[in-house]
Amino acid sequence: MIPFLLRRLVQSIPTLLLASILIFFVIQLAPGDFLTPAKLNPNISDEQLVALERNFGLDRPAWQQYLFWMGNMFQGDFGLSFQYQQPVLNIIWPRILNSLYLALMSLILFYSIAIPLGVYGAVRQNSPGDNAVNVVLYFLLGFPSFFLALIVIYFILQVRNATGLDIPIGGMTSNNFEELSPLGQMIDILKHLIIPALVLAISDAAGLTRVIRGQMLEVMRSDYVRTARAKGVSERTAIWKHTFRNAILPIVAGIGGLLPALISGVGFLEVVFAYPGITPMLLTAIGTQDLYLIAGFTVITTVLLIVGNVISDILLAVVDPRVKVA
Amino acid sequence: MKKFLFAALALAATSASAAPFVYPAAWTAEQNTANKRGGELRLSILSDFKGINPFTSVEADSIPGTMDNGTGLFTQDPRNDEFLPYMADAKPVVSNGGKRFVVKIRQGMKFSDGQAITADDWITTWKIHIDDKVGSNTYDSFFLNGKPISIKKLDNYTLQFDFPQVSSGAYVTMSYTPWPDHVFGKAYRDGGADAVKKLWTLGTPASQIVSPGMWVLESFRAGERSVFAKNPNWGDWNKDSRGNALPYLDKLSYRVTGDANATLAAFLAGQIDIAPMRNADDLAQTKRAIDAGNLKATLLPNVSPQAQSSWITFNWNKASNPTLQKLFRDVRFRRAMSHIANRKAMVDLALGGLGVETYFSVYPIFTQQIAAGASAPKYSYNLAQASKLLAQIGYTKKNAQGFLVDKAGKVLEFNLSTNAGNTTREQLGRIFADEAKKVGVKVNFTPIDFNNLVGQLTAKGEDRPFDAILLGLSGGDNIWSFGGNVTPCGANLHSYNNPTNGKCLTAQESLMTKLYYQGDAELDDAKRRAIGGQLMKAEGELQPVIYLVGGNYHVAYNERIGGEYPRALMNAYYLQRDPALTFIK
Repeated sequence: MIPFLLRRLVQSIPTLLLASILIFFVIQLAPGDFLTPAKLNPNISDEQLVALERNFGLDRPAWQQYLFWMGNMFQGDFGLSFQYQQPVLNIIWPRILNSLYLALMSLILFYSIAIPLGVYGAVRQNSPGDNAVNVVLYFLLGFPSFFLALIVIYFILQVRNATGLDIPIGGMTSNNFEELSPLGQMIDILKHLIIPALVLAISDAAGLTRVIRGQMLEVMRSDYVRTARAKGVSERTAIWKHTFRNAILPIVAGIGGLLPALISGVGFLEVVFAYPGITPMLLTAIGTQDLYLIAGFTVITTVLLIVGNVISDILLAVVDPRVKVA
Repeated sequence: MKKFLFAALALAATSASAAPFVYPAAWTAEQNTANKRGGELRLSILSDFKGINPFTSVEADSIPGTMDNGTGLFTQDPRNDEFLPYMADAKPVVSNGGKRFVVKIRQGMKFSDGQAITADDWITTWKIHIDDKVGSNTYDSFFLNGKPISIKKLDNYTLQFDFPQVSSGAYVTMSYTPWPDHVFGKAYRDGGADAVKKLWTLGTPASQIVSPGMWVLESFRAGERSVFAKNPNWGDWNKDSRGNALPYLDKLSYRVTGDANATLAAFLAGQIDIAPMRNADDLAQTKRAIDAGNLKATLLPNVSPQAQSSWITFNWNKASNPTLQKLFRDVRFRRAMSHIANRKAMVDLALGGLGVETYFSVYPIFTQQIAAGASAPKYSYNLAQASKLLAQIGYTKKNAQGFLVDKAGKVLEFNLSTNAGNTTREQLGRIFADEAKKVGVKVNFTPIDFNNLVGQLTAKGEDRPFDAILLGLSGGDNIWSFGGNVTPCGANLHSYNNPTNGKCLTAQESLMTKLYYQGDAELDDAKRRAIGGQLMKAEGELQPVIYLVGGNYHVAYNERIGGEYPRALMNAYYLQRDPALTFIK
C-alpha cells in the first residue's frame, strides 16, 4: 500500500506542474487584467493605476509572475486575491466546505435514489413500475439541473404564497441564524440544503440508475449467480451480495472523478439557489480576472482529482479482490 | 483619582456643550412621528462583500463603505447641494487665498467602541491613504494635479488643511472618513503598510471591528449575508428635527443575491425592502405584483436621469490611415455624426422610453450645471444637415450601393466597436449604424471584448488602434461635474486625442483644458457653474465626443419602510432616502 501511495505521489508532481503552467498561462491569454475596469474610472489617475499595477505585480512579464507564484505555492501560499486583498486559501476554504456540504448531502440522496431504483428496475424488468421509472428518468435526464431548479423555485414560491409556509429558497442559513442554538443552526442549514441537494440528486440519478440497472441485468444472468440460486441462496442474498457487489464495480472506479466534481460540479445550482459555494465566487473571480484566485482554485481541484483517483483505486481493491494496489 | 475625576468632568462638560447635528425635517417626506424604533432594513448586493479593511477595499459597495455612512467633516444638503458642517463643528475658517482651511471638529463624537473621535483619527487615516504601498483606492483624492494636500493637527479638535491650489473639490476632499487611530495608527506605526493590510480581514471577528459611522458590522457570512447594527454612540451627535437620537433602525442587512433577476425575485417575494429597477421589464413585473396584491410597495418610475453617460468617440491619432485621421479631425464630420445620432429612437428602442437625450459630458442629472450651459450648441437629429456637412467635406457622390465616395472612389466608412454583452450599447450602436446608412456612411459596427476595448480606448500614441468606440462613463460629483481624467488634454480618458506628448490639437481643446482647471479652482458656486457653461459651449462646438442618451433612475421600496426623501429630493445622486431617517412602520 505505502509503495503504491508513494509512487502515485511522485507521479503527481509532473502532472501538477504541467497543469499549473497551463492554468496560469491560459488565464494570462485573456486580454486585459484586474485593473482594466479601473481605467474607465474618471476619478483614478494614471499614476495611481501604475502604483496599483506595481503593488499587484501586474507590471511584470507573465513568466516572472508564474515563477513567483509557483515559488510561493511550494510554501503553501497561493498568493493574494486582487478583489479580496487576502490570501487565496482563506477565501477558498470556507467556500469549498460549503460546496462540500451540499455535494455530500446530494451524494447521499443521489445513491439512495439511484441504487434502489436501479436494482428495482433490474429485478422487476419491464414491469409497469420499471417502465414508469424509466419514463420519468428519461425526462429528467434531458433537463439541465439549473432549469429544474428554477422550476422548483417557482413552485416553492407558489406554495409559499398560498400557504405561508417558510420554505427556504436560497442561501445557506436563515436571517436569525446567529441567534439559534447549535442544534438549531444544524437543522437550519439542513433545511436550506435539502432542496438544492434533492434537485441535484434527482437530475443526476437518471444516469446512474440506468447504469446500475444494466449492470445488474448483466450480472444476474451470469453463471455464478445462477449457481448460487441453484444452491438455494435466498433471493435477497443473490441480489445484494452476489449481483449488486459485482454490478457496482464500474461505479466505484468512477468515484475518483467525483471528488473534484463534487466541489466544482454543484455549479449552476449554487448560482440559482444563491448558495455560498465555490461557483458563484469563481464566476465573479473570472469576471474580474482575479488571477491568483482562479489559478489557486484550479490547482486545488487538480490536486483533488489526483487524490480522488488514488481513493477510487483503493476502493476498487476493496470491492474487487482481483485488483491489488501494491 | 482627583485628576481622573477632573478629566471625566471636563469630558462630560465638553460633550454636553457640543451641539448635535440636527437632520432637517425637510429631508424626509414621511416623518417618524410615532417614534417607531428598531427593526431591520433589508437590502441586497449582487456579489459578496470582499473585505472589511477600509484602506484596501476596492469595491463600490463594501463593508467599510456602509460603516462610513454618516461620517465626514461636511455633508451635502440634497436640497441645494451645499456643504453643511457635519463632523465639523462649524464652517471652516478659510485663509491663504482659499487654500488653507482650519476646521474645528465637533466634540463628543465616539467610535462604536466608545473611544472619542479626535484629530488624530483624521491624520492617521490620511497618512495611510497616501502610502502607495497600501494601495488605497482613495489615494488620488489627496493630491491635486500631482501635488499633495497636507493636513496638520493644530490641537485634539482642530485640523488644518493646506491645498496646493484653490479647489472647488476641497469640501469633498476634506470629507473623508476618519478610521480609528487606536486600531490602524498603532499598527501602522509598528509595522507600516503591511501591518495595516493585515488588519480587519474577512476572518476578523465582527466584535473587533470599530466604526465611526451610523453602522457597525455585526455579522458576516461569506457569500450570504452581512448584518450591521447601529452604532450606539452615533445617536449622541445625530438627532432628528425633534431631538430624537438617530438612526431609528436597529439593523441593516445585505443579502447576497448573486444575480439581478434573483434580486428582483427577492423583492417581489417581500424578502428585501429596496430593489434597483433596471429597465421597463423590472418596472412592469413590480407593477404587476403590486396590482395583484402580492406586494405592498411604492413604485416611482423615471425619478431622475442616471449619473452616467454614453457616447461615441472618434480617434484623432490614426497615423496609419491619414484619410480617416483627417476626417475624424474635421469638426464638420463630427457635427454630421451628431446630426446622425437619432437620440429619440435610441431612448425609445434601446431604453424602452425610459431615458433622456444627452448632448454634453455633464450628466443630465446635474441640472444646475446643465442649466448654466443652456446656450451651448446642440447638433440634434437632422439627416439633411448631416448630408450637407458631409458634402462640404467633399462627399457628394454615392456609389451603386448607396454609400458616399470621395474623389478617388473610396467609400466613406469606419469601424465602430462597443463592449460585447452590453445589450443597450449594442442597440445604440445598431441604431447609429442604421441611421448613418441613410445618409450614405458605412459604419461597421462590431461588439468586442470589454478588456480589449478599454485597452484600445486608453492607448496613447500617434497611431492608436481604433476608429470609433461607443462606451459610457459614470462617477464624479455635482460640485464640478467635469471629469479630471476626461476633459484636460493628456488625461487618461481624453479618448479622442491622446498623442505621446499629450498636447492639445485644437484651440477649443486648449480652451476646455484651461476652463477645466479654472472652474476646478473657483470656490463660488455660481461663478464655477458659469465657467462650466463656457466649457459646455466649447465642448458643444468642438463635438470631440458625440453624447447619446442616458437611462433613468427608478425607485421601488417596500411599504413597510418609511422616511424616504420628498420626491423632489430623490435622484440618482442622492438616491431615495437617508438611512438615518428610515424607519420600520
